[in-house]
Amino acid sequence: MAQPFPYTYYACSCTDDTTTSSKGAFTRARFSANENDDEEDQTFDPRSPRANYSLFPLENLLYCAECQTVRCSRCVTEEIACWFCPSCLFEVPSSMVRSEGNRCTRNCYNCPICTSPMTVNPLDTQDRLVVPDAASVPGGPFYLSCPYCAWSSLDIGIKFERASNITGQLARIKNGGKVVPTLKERERERDRKREKDDKRHFEESTQPSSSSPLGSIDEDTQEAPNSEETFSDLTAFYKNQISISNNTNGSMFNPHDINFGSPSSITRLMSLYGRPGAKPAKKDKPQSMREAYGSTEGFFEVSNSSEDELIERIRTLGWSGTTSIEQRSNQPPHNSSARFLDDIRPIPTLLRTKQSKRCRSCRNILVRPDNKVSSTRYKIKLLALNYIPRVTIRALAPPPPVPSTSTLSNATALRPTFDYDHLQPSKPTHFLLTLRNPLFDPLKVTLATPSYTSGRINHKVTIMCPQFDVGANTDVWDEALNAGTGSKLRNPTSSMSGSSDNGGMQVEAGKIWEKGRNWTSVIVEVIPGRKPISLPGSFGSPAYQEEELDEDDDVLEIPVFVRLEYEVEADKEEKVGGSMGQKTKKEDAFWCVLGVGRVVV
Amino acid sequence: MASRPSATSRRQVKGEYIETDSGNKVSRKASIAGTANITLGGKTVIQSDVILRGDLHRLPSTKPDGTGIPHAPTAISIGRCTVISSGCVLRPPSRLSRGTYSFYPMKIGDNVFIGHHSIVQAASISSHVYIAEHCVLQPFCIVKENVKILSHTVVPANMVIPSNSLVAGRPARVIGEVGEGWGCTPGAPGEGGRGATVAGEWVEGGELRELVRSIK
Repeated sequence: MAQPFPYTYYACSCTDDTTTSSKGAFTRARFSANENDDEEDQTFDPRSPRANYSLFPLENLLYCAECQTVRCSRCVTEEIACWFCPSCLFEVPSSMVRSEGNRCTRNCYNCPICTSPMTVNPLDTQDRLVVPDAASVPGGPFYLSCPYCAWSSLDIGIKFERASNITGQLARIKNGGKVVPTLKERERERDRKREKDDKRHFEESTQPSSSSPLGSIDEDTQEAPNSEETFSDLTAFYKNQISISNNTNGSMFNPHDINFGSPSSITRLMSLYGRPGAKPAKKDKPQSMREAYGSTEGFFEVSNSSEDELIERIRTLGWSGTTSIEQRSNQPPHNSSARFLDDIRPIPTLLRTKQSKRCRSCRNILVRPDNKVSSTRYKIKLLALNYIPRVTIRALAPPPPVPSTSTLSNATALRPTFDYDHLQPSKPTHFLLTLRNPLFDPLKVTLATPSYTSGRINHKVTIMCPQFDVGANTDVWDEALNAGTGSKLRNPTSSMSGSSDNGGMQVEAGKIWEKGRNWTSVIVEVIPGRKPISLPGSFGSPAYQEEELDEDDDVLEIPVFVRLEYEVEADKEEKVGGSMGQKTKKEDAFWCVLGVGRVVV
Repeated sequence: MASRPSATSRRQVKGEYIETDSGNKVSRKASIAGTANITLGGKTVIQSDVILRGDLHRLPSTKPDGTGIPHAPTAISIGRCTVISSGCVLRPPSRLSRGTYSFYPMKIGDNVFIGHHSIVQAASISSHVYIAEHCVLQPFCIVKENVKILSHTVVPANMVIPSNSLVAGRPARVIGEVGEGWGCTPGAPGEGGRGATVAGEWVEGGELRELVRSIK
């Protein structure tokens, strides 16, 4: 619970559908076993594990005007409006997102150690602190460095010639500064090797010796190629085979690989190896073919000696030389098996999206942001807080309007602040529950709450005035003009100054505490419970007698059922049938959870 | 409109805050250096023990032909209805560039809340940003609109936080998005009337006018 006390969460009703239809019996069985009533009559339990998924702060909820219900992040469908890099804030077209794998292709990199964004610095010590945008400073080689943990690309032996197009340069440099050969260079290299192999094969066939069948492998695998290299080798091999077979009609090969020469089998293979964007394989009979063999063809063997080497390396480098699981999972996919800190690569920044949201049941658009990255405006935004009342709770005793100032300025320091984190058990405490109405119609509100909260510690909760009215959200000036008529029930200054717990005002049952233009406050009395003590008769150490409390068992959360009744003019709703000016009654109801504080146990 | 707190203070009022003509409230206990280089947008609160380093400004550079910035430029500019809580340190960012060490202006937008004991060296903070207490914003970080930074966060240097982000951690990471209703008050439009709201009611990221009013 990141939110500080006091807070209010609203329960989205969308989870109810799943509990009734599917076997949500686990929740019910364990947490409210004695209640076998109808689903609707059940008390909302903020402690059930399911509740975590249905409780939201009001700001995060949307409202579907068509379905007239609250919509949470679980009951909307999202459509991506645009992609952008959170670091350079450039928009990325969707075609590029597909090909580049959701990552920024500019100079945006994150530190592989601590994830903070990295900067491009020149290696020239004099200008060490120059930040990338100073493009006018050319100067020597550049490197990526992390301003937070001081990791830099020099640690893996990578320098850049230019400060721009880091992605392109990084793709060509291996850890340690080795240059990755381009495709053409690789091709040439492959041809060279193949010729050498052929020659050797020829020699072997003429004068048989005891050399291993995988001749060339041992010689070339000092460094295991990475997955991308292997992939390109394999592709080249199979493509090459097709072309050879097409030219020679497959006659010069031994019988079992005669049938490999159809183009469909290469497509099938390509899709097997999962190249993004490859066309789906045609429905074709799989044909037998010669497989890759030898390092030039992208085949390499895992030998025992390399494993031993790895173990030896782990032993010498120790814990500090290896990567954590988190660091490994942050690595780009082709390097996800980076075991040592030497293998780690800077992480290209992941893109972010702007989404528009639709109601899951009626498909109406609830949120549509502006497509521009820089804009923070919305074309459509249907917020729940414009449709359902905001419920807030705070301690009655001293209202500290500004929590941050209260401890600091002299004037407010005298006023004791309420400590939400240390509620005293068995001491009746009064809280002020306020409902603010965003609608333009006055509301009739009925509140309900179980008299004892659920959980390990049961707190007694009493809403002093469960039925009251809340004024409409009319023009501010209306109230100002009607101020003389005494819309306020009580003098607000006495309660606001908070001279004492009930400074001259009695907490009375059945009466509202205070009322304003579009808000009403009522008192909630809470008697925090005590820690449960296990059955008498169980002897032993004191630790044995007291039940162990789990984390957050001391949190005092009150589920409150809010039922609203209001009248809207019929012509607003249905212009066709309803007679003009007539009012229709409407009802709405929802559960919310008030997080009041922590009880001292 | 630059209003200099020391110049326009009303000495006869004995409160914690000195209120300027444009409604800025500056604590008497705040230590402010280089007031000439600080602009406050109006209705902005600077609480006690805040350190504003307006003296760390870019040096007036004179080009060979005599042109250049004639007077000291703005070092810190703060928008309207922004609250700088007690114990904060606002220091313009600096770096070594082309052999010279120079300071860069810091810009803070409207309705920004900076929690107590935060250290800010950001290059820019846009409007409707809520920064909780004990945060560190390292030099040249940029915070866009509608961002919430949770307490004890360290935003590393040069980080850009895009709008609608929820940020936390050391180093800071974007851990989520703020809801669409961030900073919205129900029935907000024109809610300036007398007694319109429960006294001092405000929401994070929303208009801070009520909060500013409640600080005395």
